[in-house]
Amino acid sequence: MQRDIIGILLKAWMILIIGFLFIPILVVVLYSFNDGRVLFIWEGFSTFWYGAVFDNHRILSALDVSVRSALINVAISVVLGTVAGVAIARHQGVWSKPFLFLIGLVLVTPELVSAIGQVIWFNQIGMSNGVTRLAVGHSLFNTALVAIVVKARAEGISDTLEEAAGDLGAPPYRSFLQITLPLMLPAVIAGALLSFTYSFDNVIISLFVQRPGASSLPVYILSSFKAGLRGDVAAVVVMALGITVILIAVAAILLRRGSKKVNVL
Amino acid sequence: MSQVSPLSRKWLPLLPAVSWWAFFFLASLLAIIVYSFGVKTPLTALNPVSFDDPSLSNYREAFSSVYIRVFWITLKTAGIGTIACLMMAFPVAYVLATRVSKHWRSWLLFVIIFPYWVSFLLRTFAWRIILAPEGAFSEALQGLGIISAPLGILDTQMAVQMGIIYNYLPVAILPIFVALERIDPALRQASADVGANRVTTFFRITLPLATPGLIGAGVLTFILAAGDYVVPAILGGARGLMIGRLIALQILEAQNLPLGAAMAVVLIAALLATGAIAGLALIVLNWLNRKFQGASI
Repeated sequence: MQRDIIGILLKAWMILIIGFLFIPILVVVLYSFNDGRVLFIWEGFSTFWYGAVFDNHRILSALDVSVRSALINVAISVVLGTVAGVAIARHQGVWSKPFLFLIGLVLVTPELVSAIGQVIWFNQIGMSNGVTRLAVGHSLFNTALVAIVVKARAEGISDTLEEAAGDLGAPPYRSFLQITLPLMLPAVIAGALLSFTYSFDNVIISLFVQRPGASSLPVYILSSFKAGLRGDVAAVVVMALGITVILIAVAAILLRRGSKKVNVL
Repeated sequence: MSQVSPLSRKWLPLLPAVSWWAFFFLASLLAIIVYSFGVKTPLTALNPVSFDDPSLSNYREAFSSVYIRVFWITLKTAGIGTIACLMMAFPVAYVLATRVSKHWRSWLLFVIIFPYWVSFLLRTFAWRIILAPEGAFSEALQGLGIISAPLGILDTQMAVQMGIIYNYLPVAILPIFVALERIDPALRQASADVGANRVTTFFRITLPLATPGLIGAGVLTFILAAGDYVVPAILGGARGLMIGRLIALQILEAQNLPLGAAMAVVLIAALLATGAIAGLALIVLNWLNRKFQGASI
């Protein structure tokens, strides 16, 4: 009896916390359909602000900057992270620990601190292209992220196939491209999607390293808070949420499928 | 033909990532330290920062009473936020690890982590709608007679505190869950078999074994909260200050990179010091615990 009461209380608490986590998100989704001029006073249902987004050229140009820098960031972090992630999972050596420490350092450094470092360093070396600055800035964290995701999968798959390829005389780059990469594909794609969403949502690094005229979408949204809350900002963040949800769902499915295939092998 | 010596082949794939981080990440951390000793030059000068006369003047300014006060508020907000997150997260992680079936567990985990993948801006921005003085929630509370005037939480330190707790709660749940899930259920069973009641089992078995997860969750939450910029910028107004906002102000608006750099160094030092104090407290607690247990056996 006592066990039941505690169990029910614990489960009720969990449901309460899940509600607490989700209500604000649902509120924004709901209010993005608010007809009123002032966002937080509900006046009735309308999709007016969704139309207004596409008339706002500043939002569209910020979206363009965001997508371009996110894609370049994905290309960099996936290539560097995949190659490093496979290598660190396959071979141990004196370099393993320092390398994992470096990954940890990249992941744990407060974003604010690395953002300050980047704005100083990028200015110092004369990197002046806005999209490049955003892409490089985001790729530093994401390379570590991809490396971790790929490493986890590589550790889950035995390297017998790669060894067999080596025994049959395949040079390392060929066995990497034809054996390792296809096996790693779910993790690589999942890493790419996570890397894209990180970049697409990033505020702090983008705010510091951005160049005038090349604001990313989150930076534009942040600056429009100061000008007052309008429905088009809510509509944009809800659309961005839709994109993020789709990408995360694809990543989750791929990682799941991937792990099932490993079992078959 | 393309035979490479085994030694070089093994670390070579790490080289591209390491070079990338060395040139852009490590160099930028180094740049913070170097700049923190520089001096901001007048706007007309060719170079924005002068190193002709390196000095500690930025650190003197970073330790002036105004900044110290904001550093203190930041550590306090992050500290309270971390403790609140851990207390709210533990029961949730406990239920997930011990009271739900495997099938439900993975779905619930996904549901709990999901908000963390939703744009940070959106999640923070939501509280401006919910807490708006003329908003529906405020009016409902007034209608019920719970409050007599419109909600006045927005643009205060309390709103910042709330936003911090809300945003980092999912981050706190995960490491605690992982630690609790690793505990073999047989241990709890054994404890019950030798006659320990549920409370004793919890404090003697479950909690000590979950401590690494609690520490991990605490450290992660604290680092993220102390370095936050978005929550105070959106929910804090003029009165809700955290050091992240002050640093951003120095760098983005006052263009004072050296002072911003010195403040970043102080922030890292403050985080490390807090970590060291927490670690020390833990060692003492552990020692007391062992002593207490020794006496009771």
